[in-house]
Amino acid sequence: MSILLVGLNHKTAPVEVRERLAFSDEECATGLRSLVDGEAVREGLIMSTCNRVEVLTETGASTVSDVMARVVRFLSEARSLPVELFDKHFYRHEDDKAVRHIFRVASSLDSMVVGEPQVLGQVRRAYALAVEAGTTGRVLNRLIHHTLRVAKRVRSETGIAASAVSISYMAVELGRKIFGALDGRTILLVGAGEMAELSARHLINSGAARVLIANRTMETAERLADEFQGQAVELSDLTKHLAESDIVICSTNAPDYLITHDTARKALEMRRNRPSFYIDISVPRNIDPRVGEINNLFVFDIDDLEAVIASNIREREREAERAELIVESEVMQFQQSLRTLDIGPTLGALRQKMQTIARGELEKQRSRLGQLTPEQEEAIEALLISTVNKISHPVINRLRSAYGTGEDDEVQAVRDMFGLED
Amino acid sequence: MKLILFTALAAYVIAAIHSLLAFVNKRSALERIALWTAGCGFALHTASLVIDWVQDGRYPLYGLRETLSFLAWTIVATYFIVLSRYRAQALGTFSLPLVSLLTFAVILSHEQTNGAQGAAGSSTTAAWMFPVHTTLLVFAYAAFFVVFIASVMYLLQERELKLKTFSAIFHRLPSLTTVNEIATLAAGVGLMLLSLGILTGMLWSSERDGRIWHNDPKEILAGLTWLLYMFLILYRASARWRGRRAAWLGVMGFALVLCTFFGARLMGSYHVFG
Repeated sequence: MSILLVGLNHKTAPVEVRERLAFSDEECATGLRSLVDGEAVREGLIMSTCNRVEVLTETGASTVSDVMARVVRFLSEARSLPVELFDKHFYRHEDDKAVRHIFRVASSLDSMVVGEPQVLGQVRRAYALAVEAGTTGRVLNRLIHHTLRVAKRVRSETGIAASAVSISYMAVELGRKIFGALDGRTILLVGAGEMAELSARHLINSGAARVLIANRTMETAERLADEFQGQAVELSDLTKHLAESDIVICSTNAPDYLITHDTARKALEMRRNRPSFYIDISVPRNIDPRVGEINNLFVFDIDDLEAVIASNIREREREAERAELIVESEVMQFQQSLRTLDIGPTLGALRQKMQTIARGELEKQRSRLGQLTPEQEEAIEALLISTVNKISHPVINRLRSAYGTGEDDEVQAVRDMFGLED
Repeated sequence: MKLILFTALAAYVIAAIHSLLAFVNKRSALERIALWTAGCGFALHTASLVIDWVQDGRYPLYGLRETLSFLAWTIVATYFIVLSRYRAQALGTFSLPLVSLLTFAVILSHEQTNGAQGAAGSSTTAAWMFPVHTTLLVFAYAAFFVVFIASVMYLLQERELKLKTFSAIFHRLPSLTTVNEIATLAAGVGLMLLSLGILTGMLWSSERDGRIWHNDPKEILAGLTWLLYMFLILYRASARWRGRRAAWLGVMGFALVLCTFFGARLMGSYHVFG
């Protein structure tokens, strides 16, 4: 029994290769059914996203390299691509390495942006497809459930996904830092760039109630106002609208400062010194940097945001080191749970135990039997062993079938009954 | 009796350690442990105070040792009150270690307060006012301690937001608006308690000596403290001093509170008992 993983990702293969190898959901299902034959490949799962294509399999008795070659051949046939095209981009992992890899992928340690949350959903999806295709069994079921647990643990015990690493999320995060919950807050968009729109959308999803849009062309403002169920306002009344707004996002092409020190100070006075958060993502800047010196006004320009994002990414990388330790200990735990899963030792121990008892009893009575010929000795031995085997045969059969259907309790019950240790 | 307090201290220390760890590692499991052990410590501490009261037949707030013990108790109580309204576990990270220290100091000191009857026990009709006076003031100090912590949290965060460089603790603190609200509320409550405390003190004093003011250092400092927090609240209300300046005032106010609490001893105040 081995777990094998063959695949490529954004680190080992360029996008031209990845996109040609990618599987759609239906292709995953049909592909899995043809790959998993119940013998050489007993279980299988395909994970195909824009960043990776990986095939996870559980194999029976066949040698590892055979199965690896088989998976590669399968991929080449399924996508009608020559093996040479992608073979050199593949990584091939076996047993604990494969387990570690899938743990790392699900925990987002192997992602382009470490800590991004989507990958866990993708693992779930890949698993759901494999379950639907009926190609998962006791090993992969266990592995994926363990994987999801590990990912959850990494997320909750490390700060790997704690801080924002994009401008639009940064706006939300800093907004929360200043205002607490964003519920009921008012946002003002000055100018209507794509990034401003995206930030506004995130802020609204986080609870912001009201959006004001001021733009040079009124049509654009009104279009956005419709979209956000907000309100288009005149750019000429900027001070008044600044006073109404908790969060202001500036993104115009104006060549100089729209919000001067004076404007900002007046607006702040009008809102009775309640704090405001100004985000300036325009280049050249639309907010006079001196505005940031005013008490209760917090101004972040594009460079400030980028710098915070860069430090957040470094922070995530530091946290990733802690996450690796968690993964490492979980790999060991999984291997251990897999060992108890293996039926072989239980069967061996059971036979061993019964034969030891039989031989022991023979030993006790041997002197009473007197002198025996070697043939007779052999016959007695054979008699004992075959009796033991005949008696244990149905038990062993029952154990095998219980193991096959995943009834671990029954296996454990037999172990307890016969006092078998690991 | 001492054993109960000792157990309470152990619980506080465990709570403080878990609260610090939760602050560093941000794990909610640790926060839960901190909360529960602090709760146990509080219950034991309460029991110890009640036993003291019953055994000595005297309100257990007299002399330095008992005052410190009572102060620790009120700080835990206010911590729970704040937590019931705001998600501000970080408060525990600051206050639980202090509570542990105070309780530890209480256990170390073997001070006997038998001479207690001297000042408090005067058998005037207003004798009951003395414990009310002291209790109100200790609660006022605890409230001002909350103002102080919230103000420090505000200043730390405000500084980082202005400098745009964020340290690890930044993500663990409650938002500016939250700490601001906590500080404002605690200052209001603290001022009210302080006013009532001073008032009962005056009444008690006038019953006893026929005068309400002794020009005692503690009285003067308490008066200054009152003025400072009044100023803080008025200015906040007028919206002219929000945010950073108000937070600085919260820090300064607490320095004055400490002077009132400890400084008066050094200046030979008659407010020193036991």
